[in-house]
Amino acid sequence: MYDSMRKTSYHILRVGLAITFLWIGILILKNPEAWSGYLQPWAAELLPIPINQAMMGTAILDIIIGAFLLVDFLPWLAALVGVIHLVMVLAVSGITDITVRDIGLLTATLALIIDSLPSSLTQRITFLRK
Amino acid sequence: MTALALLFTLSAIGISETVYLIKKRITAEKPVCPIGENCALVLTSHWSKIFIVPNDILGLLFYIVVSFIAGFLVIGVEPMLFWSFIFKLAVAFGTLLSLFFTYLQWRIIRAWCFWCLMSAFTIWLMASIILISNFI
Repeated sequence: MYDSMRKTSYHILRVGLAITFLWIGILILKNPEAWSGYLQPWAAELLPIPINQAMMGTAILDIIIGAFLLVDFLPWLAALVGVIHLVMVLAVSGITDITVRDIGLLTATLALIIDSLPSSLTQRITFLRK
Repeated sequence: MTALALLFTLSAIGISETVYLIKKRITAEKPVCPIGENCALVLTSHWSKIFIVPNDILGLLFYIVVSFIAGFLVIGVEPMLFWSFIFKLAVAFGTLLSLFFTYLQWRIIRAWCFWCLMSAFTIWLMASIILISNFI
C-alpha cells in the first residue's frame, strides 16, 4: 500500500483534509459555545464534563489529527481517529443542513485510511482472509 | 477572517512542502521534480544552507510560526496588534528571502527547483493577500 504514498492524489487529499481538521479545531477554540449548539440535547446530557470542556477537547483532537496528516506522520492512524471522530459527530449532531459535508469528509478520510495502511497491516489482513 | 483562513491554508501547505523536502533530504532520496530535472542540483548546492541551517528547516520554522500566529489572530489571543505586526514582518522578510532565492536559481545556479518555486509563490501569495486585505 505504501506505493500509493507516491501518488499526487493521495498527498492532495491528505493535505486538504489536514487543513480542514486544523481549521475546524481553531474555529472551535475561538468559539466553543457556538459549536456546542450542534450537539443534540440527548447527547449533551450524556457528557460527564461541562459542554465547553468537551468542545475544547474536540478542538484539540481535531488539531492533533490535522497536524499528523499534514506532516504525514502515521497518516492511517490519524485518519482512523478522524473517521471515528466524524462518525461520532454525525451521531450526536443529528441530520442538519451541513450533514452532507460531514459525510463527504468521512468518506474522504476513509479513503485516506485505505490508501495509507502500512504494508505489515495489509499483509496481516490478507493472511486472515486466506 | 477570510484573509486569515487563506493565510493559514497557505502556511499549512508550506509546512507539508518543507516536511516533504526534509524527509527526502534525511533519507537521501531525490524529490519528485514535476518541472525541469534540476531540483536536486538546487537542493544540494551550497546555497541550500544559510548559516549551517538547511533552508528547508528555516522554511518549516517560518511556516510553523506563521500558522500559529494566524491561529492566534483567529482565536483572539492578546496582544493582537503585536501578533499582527510580527505576522506582517515575518511575511515581508520571507518575501524578500524568496526573491533572493529565486534570483539565485535564475542567475547563479541556473537551474529551477519546483519545490523552491512553489514555496516562493506560497509566500508571495501570502504577501499579496495581506496587501489586498489591508486595502479592502
